[in-house]
Amino acid sequence: MKNSTSPCCCRSETNGKEHNRRGFLGQATAVACGAVALATPTVAGVVTFLNPLRQKSQGGQFMRLASLETIPQDGAPLKVPVIADRTDAWSRFPAEPIGAVFLRRSGGGVTALQVICPHAGCSINYDAAGRKYFCPCHAASFELSGKRTDATSPSPRNMDSLEVEMRDKNQVYVKFQMFCVGTTKKIAQA
Amino acid sequence: MKSLFSWFNDRTGLGDWCGRLADSPTPGGACWCRVLPCVVAFLFCVEAITGFFLWAYYSPSAQTAWESVYYIQNEVVGGWLLRAIHHYSAYVLLAVLILAVVQSILARGYRAPRELVFWVTVGLGLFALAAVLTGDLLSWDQNGYAATKTRTGFLTFLPWVGDSLLKIAIGGPGPALGSLSLTRFFAMHVGLFGGGFMLLLIIRSALARRANVKIVEGSSGSRTVVPHWPAQAWRGAVACLLALAVVLALSCQDGVKPPHAGAPLLSPADTNPLNAYDAARPEWFLVGVYEFSHLFPGQWGIVPIFIVPGLLVLIVLAMPFLGKHWIGQGFNVLFTLFLLAGVAWLTHHSYAKDRNDPAHQKAIAVELWRADRVCELIRHNQGIPPGGALSLLQHDPKAEGPRLFAQQCASCHNHVVPGDKREDLVQNFSSELPTAPNLAGFASRRWIAGLLDPKRISGPDYFGGTKLRGGDMPGFVKETFGDADAEQKKNIAKVVAALSAEAHLPSQKTFDAGDAKTIEEGRKLIVGDFGCTNCHKFHKSGSSGSAPELTSYGSVEWITGIVRNPASRRFYGKLNDRMPAYAAASDPAQNALTPEQIKLLADWLRGEWYEERNDE
Repeated sequence: MKNSTSPCCCRSETNGKEHNRRGFLGQATAVACGAVALATPTVAGVVTFLNPLRQKSQGGQFMRLASLETIPQDGAPLKVPVIADRTDAWSRFPAEPIGAVFLRRSGGGVTALQVICPHAGCSINYDAAGRKYFCPCHAASFELSGKRTDATSPSPRNMDSLEVEMRDKNQVYVKFQMFCVGTTKKIAQA
Repeated sequence: MKSLFSWFNDRTGLGDWCGRLADSPTPGGACWCRVLPCVVAFLFCVEAITGFFLWAYYSPSAQTAWESVYYIQNEVVGGWLLRAIHHYSAYVLLAVLILAVVQSILARGYRAPRELVFWVTVGLGLFALAAVLTGDLLSWDQNGYAATKTRTGFLTFLPWVGDSLLKIAIGGPGPALGSLSLTRFFAMHVGLFGGGFMLLLIIRSALARRANVKIVEGSSGSRTVVPHWPAQAWRGAVACLLALAVVLALSCQDGVKPPHAGAPLLSPADTNPLNAYDAARPEWFLVGVYEFSHLFPGQWGIVPIFIVPGLLVLIVLAMPFLGKHWIGQGFNVLFTLFLLAGVAWLTHHSYAKDRNDPAHQKAIAVELWRADRVCELIRHNQGIPPGGALSLLQHDPKAEGPRLFAQQCASCHNHVVPGDKREDLVQNFSSELPTAPNLAGFASRRWIAGLLDPKRISGPDYFGGTKLRGGDMPGFVKETFGDADAEQKKNIAKVVAALSAEAHLPSQKTFDAGDAKTIEEGRKLIVGDFGCTNCHKFHKSGSSGSAPELTSYGSVEWITGIVRNPASRRFYGKLNDRMPAYAAASDPAQNALTPEQIKLLADWLRGEWYEERNDE
């Protein structure tokens, strides 16, 4: 019997079926082993690359931000940092600014607004001359209450308000949270 | 020699392969209009070579990225040029790719069989764009950080996958970027987009040569055909040299001495949202898209960022088929010209708007000042401390003092320095209705002289905006110094010198030393004839309770005390108008300012900071 040594699907006149099967088995082995070999590091890489999806953002607890006296009497807002421990990959930084909030006296109490612009995440500034908020990235402006000054504003919604609690007579506590940008509704980030 | 060559060629086939490349046909003859792909390949090589050598210095972490780029820019001989060539070659490469695509559209260079060549060229443009966008973050300066934070934020506009894509892109839950953002962007910059670009370049070259062969076969001798080498090759080489000249001209536009020479490097990125860079803008090729996005209200952000650009790319990719018919080609040409004109107009409009926006220009000026200041501090420190370059700025009274002042004090106090040096943009705070004194030069002789001037004490620079403007001190000054004769004026000057000497201001060190006699006489007047100690405590005379203590007035200790608690008996007591106490509580968590922050403010108010020219 003549054994064909050709690697591809051979059809010799004798033992045709046997040669086909062996040839097929050879091909299948090559493909399967190659696929597993190639897929293993790729899958390992992709899975590790997706690790950040498992991480949650900070926030959601009440934190002391300021004493009542430091907030201006005339209703102008005070920009205060939110201090907390910050984790960056493998590093841990104790007591660093991780966010900022506008505090303002209003209607006998204190209101708190997130400084992050709901449009694309830039930091909003207070324009003292015009007594309004102004975002330098795309020129969105908001009234002191946080409401958009006009409906065609780049921002899809008003500035995000945060819950405020007064404790120990004059300590202003705020429930600091991050919200999604670009949405018409205020949605807390997961 | 020849036998050596043929030995080598026998085994590698390299010589034959080079010969085939050199002979590859150029249908229509050698032409300057065909040099752009050669320039693209050349600029990629420039990027790869400069990139490799930059890679030998660069360190991608939040603590070391800016620092390593600073090192390349300032301490490595020729580093600024290496970095500048890398930076500007990227922009020139992008421009050349855009030109190549436009040329293909206008000259119908995408006719069969060159459709794939056209698509790969568009792909090269997209990869170059992605390489530039990922490369921008790597220096970890304020502009790169702010721009990348905004751009990655756009990912959340995409439904369902947006939030996940953002987390994957920045390597964490956000919102701040961090070390993992840098490592990812670096890996994508070099491996994905750099390596991918090279692959596409090779593919394009092979496809183009194959297409040329087909064209030559198809034309069967009716067109002139010239081998690539040397006629087309030398034209390509000259074009590459021209491109290099443009890159070098851009690199040297700000001179040849670092830190200003070459590519810009702003101050280190600050993840503190209070210190975000307000004047961040996209690069020149994206300013059109940025301006375009202003036309859309907030909730439609996905349109100008993803949908419209995506559609434009799809239309461009469809052009080889649209262009088969003359109407389609007409559309292609008009579409391209309209798009170019529109982007050019939007870009110009955006730059003009920013040029005429004082707040924007001020933010840029302040940031440029900070970039210079951090280099000054590094030189003074003879290196960068372990906390990174940003910590140098955070502990510098000249840089941090104005920021603290803006946040905590400027709602009531002005700080307007007379004169018009560029630094005044950093140091000046003024509003129309201050409700507290102008603190520029506080406790200096000039300042105290103004306080004791009956014409100015009730003005906006002193008591004017406060509830004490009709009180005892303005009354005393107006009564006692109202009609001062020459003798009295001399005495006032002595008191001014004596009071100001209490502060030990660094700017007045020589004056105070030279005027010991005047100061002594002034002190006698304070406790004697002028009767200041009737209300104020001054060393061993007088007592506190009705007016601020004058002992060590304006010293760091005194300023610290009044900022901590202006309503304490030592200062204004019950007379305190409305200045809050910034550190009166025993629990530090309840205080608005830390002791370090108060010291920074005090040092800044007193002009107590390092200045390079003062080599003392």
